[in-house]
Amino acid sequence: MDSLELLPGYEAVGLTLHVPEHKALVFADTHLGFEEALNRQGVLVPHFQYKDVVRHVKEALELTRPETVIIDGDLKHEFGAISGQEWREVLRFLDMLGDYEVRLVKGNHDNILGPIAGRGGVEVIGELRLGATLFTHGHQTPENLECVKTVVIGHEHPCVGLREEGRVEKVKCFLVGEWEGRDIIVLPSLNFVTEGVDVLKERLLSPLLQGDISGFKAYGVEEGEILKFGRLGGV
Amino acid sequence: MVELQREPYTGEEVLRELHPLVRKWFTGRYGGFAQAQLYAIPNIMHGKNTLVSAPTGSGKTLTAFMSVLNKLIELSLMGSLEDKVYCVYVSPLKALNNDIRRNLEEPLAEMEELHGRELGIRVMVRTGDTPASRRAAMLRNPPHILITTPESLALALSSPKFSLKLKDIKWLVLDEVHSLAENKRGVDLNLSVERLQNLAGRFTRIGLSATIHPLERMAEWLVGFEGGKPRDCSIVDVRHIKELDIKVLCPVPNLISASQEQVHNSLYALLDDLIQQHKTTLVFTNTRSGTERVVNHLKTKYPGKYVENIGAHHSSLSAAHRLDTEEKLKRGELKVVVSSTSLELGIDIGYIDLVVLLGSPKSVARALQRIGRSGHRLHDKAKGRIIVLDRDDLVECSVLLKNALEGRIDEIEIPENCLDVLAQQVYGAAVSGVEHVDNLYELVRRSYCYRNLKREDFDSVLDYLSGRYVELEQRNVYAKIWVDQDARTMGKRGRMARPIYSMNLGTIPDESYVTVKVGDRMVGKLDENFVERLEKGDIFVLGGKIYRFMYCRGMTCHVNADAGPPTVPSWISESLPLSYGLASEIQRFRRLMDERMGRPRGEVLEWLRGYLYADDNAVESIYEYFREQHRYSVIPHGGRILVEYNQAFKRRYIIFHSLFGRRVNDALSRAVAYVISRQEHRNVAVSLSDNGFYLTVPGKVQAYNAFRKLTPQNLRSILVEAVDRSEVLLRRFRHCAMRSMMILRNYRGARKSVGMQQMGSRILLNFVRKLDRKFPILEEARREVLEDLMDVGHAGEVLSRIASGEIEVKEVNTDIPTPFAMGLIGQGYMDVLRAEERREFIRRMHEALLERIGG
Repeated sequence: MDSLELLPGYEAVGLTLHVPEHKALVFADTHLGFEEALNRQGVLVPHFQYKDVVRHVKEALELTRPETVIIDGDLKHEFGAISGQEWREVLRFLDMLGDYEVRLVKGNHDNILGPIAGRGGVEVIGELRLGATLFTHGHQTPENLECVKTVVIGHEHPCVGLREEGRVEKVKCFLVGEWEGRDIIVLPSLNFVTEGVDVLKERLLSPLLQGDISGFKAYGVEEGEILKFGRLGGV
Repeated sequence: MVELQREPYTGEEVLRELHPLVRKWFTGRYGGFAQAQLYAIPNIMHGKNTLVSAPTGSGKTLTAFMSVLNKLIELSLMGSLEDKVYCVYVSPLKALNNDIRRNLEEPLAEMEELHGRELGIRVMVRTGDTPASRRAAMLRNPPHILITTPESLALALSSPKFSLKLKDIKWLVLDEVHSLAENKRGVDLNLSVERLQNLAGRFTRIGLSATIHPLERMAEWLVGFEGGKPRDCSIVDVRHIKELDIKVLCPVPNLISASQEQVHNSLYALLDDLIQQHKTTLVFTNTRSGTERVVNHLKTKYPGKYVENIGAHHSSLSAAHRLDTEEKLKRGELKVVVSSTSLELGIDIGYIDLVVLLGSPKSVARALQRIGRSGHRLHDKAKGRIIVLDRDDLVECSVLLKNALEGRIDEIEIPENCLDVLAQQVYGAAVSGVEHVDNLYELVRRSYCYRNLKREDFDSVLDYLSGRYVELEQRNVYAKIWVDQDARTMGKRGRMARPIYSMNLGTIPDESYVTVKVGDRMVGKLDENFVERLEKGDIFVLGGKIYRFMYCRGMTCHVNADAGPPTVPSWISESLPLSYGLASEIQRFRRLMDERMGRPRGEVLEWLRGYLYADDNAVESIYEYFREQHRYSVIPHGGRILVEYNQAFKRRYIIFHSLFGRRVNDALSRAVAYVISRQEHRNVAVSLSDNGFYLTVPGKVQAYNAFRKLTPQNLRSILVEAVDRSEVLLRRFRHCAMRSMMILRNYRGARKSVGMQQMGSRILLNFVRKLDRKFPILEEARREVLEDLMDVGHAGEVLSRIASGEIEVKEVNTDIPTPFAMGLIGQGYMDVLRAEERREFIRRMHEALLERIGG
């Protein structure tokens, strides 16, 4: 698993973000339970991604040895009631993280996370400040930005679409740019079900990313390697 | 053995075999037997499998059913008629089912009157529309003759109670087999029939077909195989009975110099003329949008003339609307009906005295089937007129006409080894009961479509169905069957297996259709692709009426009636591909013309008149077309593929004059584009047509070299790579996944969002691809794209002939495009609203060309 400094104090490790100052490992958008939601729509894809997610996270934990694990929203998938798969996988996941202090930032898919988190012994919060860094999911604009120098969001599932030989390959990536005078880091989604949103072509969801993002830098993560793509405008 | 029956029986011979009551009824009602009846009835009476190829209106109901009715009446009068199904009839259309029921109930009623007492013979229809109460009633009191659809038959086979009623059937009648055999619905039916025979023991199989070739293949499809050889079948071929009166017509004397307006006006004047000269005319266009346009233009150009007496018929219209049109036709209330392909099949539509084909029907078989809809009684001529609007169409239709009149029909292509249909059928078998795996494999191989099925492919389907691709702990969710490797048996798994199967069976892919409503009233359906492009205020035509688009909510589109003119360009082109057989005939014609180009004009025209059965205008136009191509450049034909490099209008065109039909060209062009993209890391845009394909490229590209790199050996693997991430593979994968029940239309009662299913199928495809590149459903999607959508088989043949030198590949550079290229590039602009520009541009080029070659 590769690592690369995105900004001073912020290091990309695979699909996760390491913030050594706070001994924290951050990731987002695992969407556990996605497969079951698809099953309910009649698409019989088996539950296949859980072990890949766990493996990725474990490897990152080994490399960085943090004390705190921050999940920046959308740990689980369903909007409404909690599915069977979600219960099982989220509980197991939180169990696995038992040795760390876990902070769960609420995402837009995490509406009824309370009961599960409660069972797992973890608290759900709307946003988290550690020092001058604000961790929020990204589906809503944060209100109080006092003393915040860096914002870390998820939500977008950013990808860069590489066009080659008539096909499009989507590569998950970190985005690093500026917002309201502060640094902003957009985390890639840590799941292996969806492809994500091609930020070069598709419309972005987050209210924080509605401005001109062509100056943002992209860092692609492919098979454990981190690749510098440079500015979005130039890709 | 499959053999053609040479001699008919005589009327007396047939009458002698009939029961006195039936004889009395028949001789009182009819003057004599129809040809097909004289051949087929005694055969069927003696229990011989029979394929009947006959035109519409040839008394086919009685041809198939006389023996059945005769036997049932015998049993009834002896008091031995039991409460079970004796005969099953299957057709692809509900309308046909209703027709047949009527055609059986009438004679039965008449015979009852003659007899003076009820016969107690029950004829019933059982389809998806049959209400539950009626179905329950059928269990208590089963029909003696069951009329059904392929889907309902499969369902019946898997229902434990109703399938028992089918245990003793004596006859199976399959109707419109020529249209069923060409697609997966027919493959599915074929397997159901073998399962039915496994259940009931041998019964007499009767197949009804329109004009098709070769009949032996159709017969083998009908009867299946035993011990590696086809079962016995007698073929009755009476398609020549109707005389053909077919002509090709040009609306203007000179197709190339006439303006768009002239052509348009002349076309409708010609149409109007033809319609007024006949009682009822059936006009076929090739697309739904074409149908709408023609109805619209007739109404506006001749106000008052075509109001209540004109009808449109195509699959986007609501069933109610279509039924209404069919009823009006039967009552003789319509002067003209315009249809896309939906009225090709043999439902009873009353008396039609003229069929008009607008534009080429793309195959001889289809032309004959459509034209055969005219002339109701046996001795009427089948009268057809084909109207052409450009020179390529003229050549194509003239060659088509020649082949039609000389009885040379293109071959039917039957899909084989479809693993998705197999999965659905094996699942159905498991739902019906525990099966021995080896016996099931033998059963499947008795079907024509699976006679060459490899054991490993069969096993791979079993693996999929038993969830072997999923971890043990999840298997109960995804496995549909269990397989006991030691006992070699299999059966259904879980309580959900049966409901999932019965709620999701079927082979017709779910087209995503949006319902169109005015207020609360539904007026038709639109393709989702089309609706995506609509903006508020857009005006379009549907069902011959004009609507303005308001908004869409979910899967419903709300519109208001409007007065036009339409603003929306044509719908998704659903144009039919040119058959390989007809393409080969056109190539042959081109070669003959090439050989004669040195001869004096008069001589060639004379020869043309004899060869083509065409009128003077047509013959001269065709001659000029070829002469221009020959003078300016070189004529491509069956032995010569021309690669033309042209730089007109600031674009570089690389035009391959390869007249093999769109399906073969799809394979060749994709392969070429892929090779180019690999060797030069460039993407090229490809335009495809029946007459060839062309690449548009900025800058130079080694297209010729790329083409020469293709071989019959590497074509398939190149294509598999080329389509790997394409939209077309994803779409076909979704269809195959639905047939194999890996994507379910109906699951746990909740309404399925089509958008979610489409996104889900992409995820599923990615998952499957990573899991196993040879996953059966993925393999089947590839096979469907390469063999059914494209034509990799014939494309490989073309490459072989190039490799052996039979076909030369010649390069030329041109500044003005050659006349044949103009036709090709012009065809690329399918949108008829820009036909004016297209025609103008072709005309200018043509003038420049004439100057160049000196008139």
